[in-house]
Amino acid sequence: MSLPLLSLLIFLPLAGAALLWLLPARFCRHGVALCMGLVLLLASLVLWRFEPSGVRFQMVEQAAWIASLNVHYRVGVDGLSVLFLPATALLFLGSLAASWNGVEAARRLHYSLLLLLQTATLGIFCALDTALFFVFWELTLLPLYFLLGRWGANSGAGPAAARYFLIMLAGGIPLLLAFVLLATAQPQPVFDLTLLLEQPLPRSAQSVVFLLFLVGFGLKVPLVPLHTWLPQLALAAPGSLTALLVGLKVGAFGLVRFAVPLAPQAAQDMHWLLAGLGTLAILYAAVGMLAQSNLRVGLAYASICHVGLAVLGLASYTAQGAQGAISLLLSFSVATGGAFLLLECLRQRTGSTDIHALGGAAKTMPLLASGFLICGLAGVGMPGTSSFPGEFMLIIAALHSHTGAGMAALFGLSIAAGGFLALYRKAFFGPVLRPEVAQASDLRRREWLVLLALIAMIAAIGIYPGPWIEIVRPAAEAWAAGLGR
Amino acid sequence: MHGLSEIHWQVQASLPWLLLLQLLPVGGALVVYALGERKAAVLAGKVFALLELALGIVAVSCLKPLDPALQLAERFAPLAYHVGADGISLTFVLVAALLTFLMTLYGMSRGMISPGRLFAVLLLAEAGLVGMLLTLNVAWFAAFSALELWAVVYLLRRWASSRAETQALARFVQYQGFGWALFAAGCIVLGWGHAEANGGRWSFDLFDLMATTPSGKFQTAAFYLLFYGLAVRTPLFPLHGWLPNMAQHGLIAVAPALMVGVKVGIYGMIRFVLPLTPAAVEYWQPYVVGFAGAGVFFTAALAFQQTNLRRLLAFAVVSHTSLLVIGVFSLHAAGIQGAVLLAANFGLAATGMWFIVGFVFRRTGTTELHELSGLFERIPFLAIAFLSFGLAIVGMPGTPGFDAAHLVLEAAIDKFGALSTVATALGNVAAAGFLLWAFQRAFLSQAKVGGHDVDRTLPMEYLVCGIALAAMLAIGFFTEPWLYLTETASQAAAARFEP
Repeated sequence: MSLPLLSLLIFLPLAGAALLWLLPARFCRHGVALCMGLVLLLASLVLWRFEPSGVRFQMVEQAAWIASLNVHYRVGVDGLSVLFLPATALLFLGSLAASWNGVEAARRLHYSLLLLLQTATLGIFCALDTALFFVFWELTLLPLYFLLGRWGANSGAGPAAARYFLIMLAGGIPLLLAFVLLATAQPQPVFDLTLLLEQPLPRSAQSVVFLLFLVGFGLKVPLVPLHTWLPQLALAAPGSLTALLVGLKVGAFGLVRFAVPLAPQAAQDMHWLLAGLGTLAILYAAVGMLAQSNLRVGLAYASICHVGLAVLGLASYTAQGAQGAISLLLSFSVATGGAFLLLECLRQRTGSTDIHALGGAAKTMPLLASGFLICGLAGVGMPGTSSFPGEFMLIIAALHSHTGAGMAALFGLSIAAGGFLALYRKAFFGPVLRPEVAQASDLRRREWLVLLALIAMIAAIGIYPGPWIEIVRPAAEAWAAGLGR
Repeated sequence: MHGLSEIHWQVQASLPWLLLLQLLPVGGALVVYALGERKAAVLAGKVFALLELALGIVAVSCLKPLDPALQLAERFAPLAYHVGADGISLTFVLVAALLTFLMTLYGMSRGMISPGRLFAVLLLAEAGLVGMLLTLNVAWFAAFSALELWAVVYLLRRWASSRAETQALARFVQYQGFGWALFAAGCIVLGWGHAEANGGRWSFDLFDLMATTPSGKFQTAAFYLLFYGLAVRTPLFPLHGWLPNMAQHGLIAVAPALMVGVKVGIYGMIRFVLPLTPAAVEYWQPYVVGFAGAGVFFTAALAFQQTNLRRLLAFAVVSHTSLLVIGVFSLHAAGIQGAVLLAANFGLAATGMWFIVGFVFRRTGTTELHELSGLFERIPFLAIAFLSFGLAIVGMPGTPGFDAAHLVLEAAIDKFGALSTVATALGNVAAAGFLLWAFQRAFLSQAKVGGHDVDRTLPMEYLVCGIALAAMLAIGFFTEPWLYLTETASQAAAARFEP
């Protein structure tokens, strides 16, 4: 038995959150940075030791937890999830850097909650037991609620936090019910993901489970009729937090990991539903984005739009679709996350991210403006950026399986790209009208170092996507094979 | 028919632990009362409460959880004294002992008047609770219930926190007196049935009554009398009228915690109502569940209208109690087990919330929501503890409520189908909604100008809430022993309803 690498990775932030209280308040940010750096190191180590062509689930650790319900502590990674670990670690580091001077009150509490959130997020990606997954899934809510409600960007933060919390709590019920239905369908209750994958439900029971999953995960994704919390949240939350919420696509990950493989026949019977919801999200969000005047809300719509594309591609139920979806989600963590972090820097300098309060920002903040452009273009899938390989595969998969929807998606994506550029032009070009913009200073060294790392990743993956895609490919093929395709 | 069996205490243990469990708080009450208002009285109160908790743990360690029989049984025929325990009753006993201990700590940190007398009454109430949980005789159950009610009435009279206490007290006495009378009448119907069948020999012993369950209309009558008697106590919607007033005007934490922290009403249903009137239970099951389901939503809606934190909590309690009744009346092993664990969890969490409301009241002199603001800045620990207790009530993973809610869901899907289960679970989210709303207003909102100057958290407050939180998290992440403790007993309780 080698080192329990994944457990170390998951619980390191939690330990850090506890140790934080022993440090003097002045140094706690440095302690957090150290802890998050270690997490990134461990996550890279996991990635390095992962063998894409090996067995599906690797580095599996198992321990008894609640024996009478047959619930285990079981974690492991496969090609679909392993890349999310370094992405999570990186995004949290970025969030820390962006909020370095933004947190004045009760710092230790703020950073402990942030670390708790990191533990829960890493747990979501590693859990191989549905009950354990659900525990981590719900565990994200508590820190998010406090981070939003207490350290929000404006007075609307409290209600937005409560609304997010309640919606996600309600969304947890269908998920829990689906897991209970899956578990009790077997002679002995089973929560083990690999066992559940081997013994699919009878076809009749699958459709209920799939619909429950769709509602539960769809709220988090968010899919279009269920997305109402996101724009409000993007406005009320500090950018460093929105980056985490929007950058980490746990909802779509849940669809890939649980919803489709655990109810494979129902998922294929209802491919039109998944594809339709994806297309609706793309078109709705693209048009919605045109009406926005706030960069943060605009980015939130762009993110809804692109997750819609991932869902549409997923509905092809091919290895290519799954591979594209995972690649796009990962690229998002970097691109959209980076864009939100830059917006947080912008907000700290000018007090707003509304285009009416900006204008000409590129003159005083050239680094910030160019960084935001790169992240934003990556967010809309510009060739040469990290999103392009995933987006390309998704569009091909979609055009193959749902040609009409694929065409509509292409149309929606071009609207979204246009919408982003229009917002960008109004905020960053033109004459400087506001004194806040005229006096704003450009990125500090700490900030552009993080930015540089993000841009390097965006460019590296965009220009030479081979190795990353190869990590995902075998798992995506296994995933598609599990569906009987 | 599934009969009952028991194991005599001498087989399992060297001492009659159940007798000691009942006598210790009575003795403690006498000692503390005799010490009067000396400092030693306060200390003695705490020590006795702690000892009772330790005794409870000893009793659990003697128990064989996998044996469906009632264990550590003691009988003394002349007094019709008959006690016995299983995993379910000892879970409740542990909760009662832990809560009493926390209350003694809490009473000190609140700086109540004449703490010596308070502790004596508190220990007496504990004796009543433990007696109810251990006895196997319905008449003794009623007698212990009367003892506990008397103690609570005394607490309400002596340590009321508001002028309107007379009204609250009157309401309390009316409701509880009525409920108690119903239960007593139910006992008489059952005893009578036994006398008819056995040539005029009366008995209220569970074992005897099981052998002669009344038939037809008599059983329905007995069911209704016992059920409604306990429903007032529980409290189950629509018989909850006493609780909001008492919560608002009575002694802040101790009295409500004694009445709703330990769910003896739920325990009574599992121990007495289900086995003694099985046919009526099965017949009336849909109605009871329907009422309880309506209660979840109705009281959640009422809770949204409250402007006082204490009244709001009272409605939260009524709302989640309905969920427990659904669990019990699923008549399914998982549902009953879930209800027992949820009852323990709710008791702990609700009491923790009452404590924090008490701490807030000590600082601000009010629990009106519109007068509270920005408390999070001053007492962050208590704020987070309050929200954690609130989340435990919703069954958030990591709190004991989670596995229990899991079990109730499992049973409910099995018995009532997925749709009604989803509806009930959504009612639970409504409960989360109103707790969050209160939390938002009282704790997270901007502090008002000219508001109260709020003291920081005191060490004793850290201790009280810390213990309750730690107990909750420990049970939440290590549920296994509790599931083990209650599993066989729940299966035994449900076995007589299996087709």
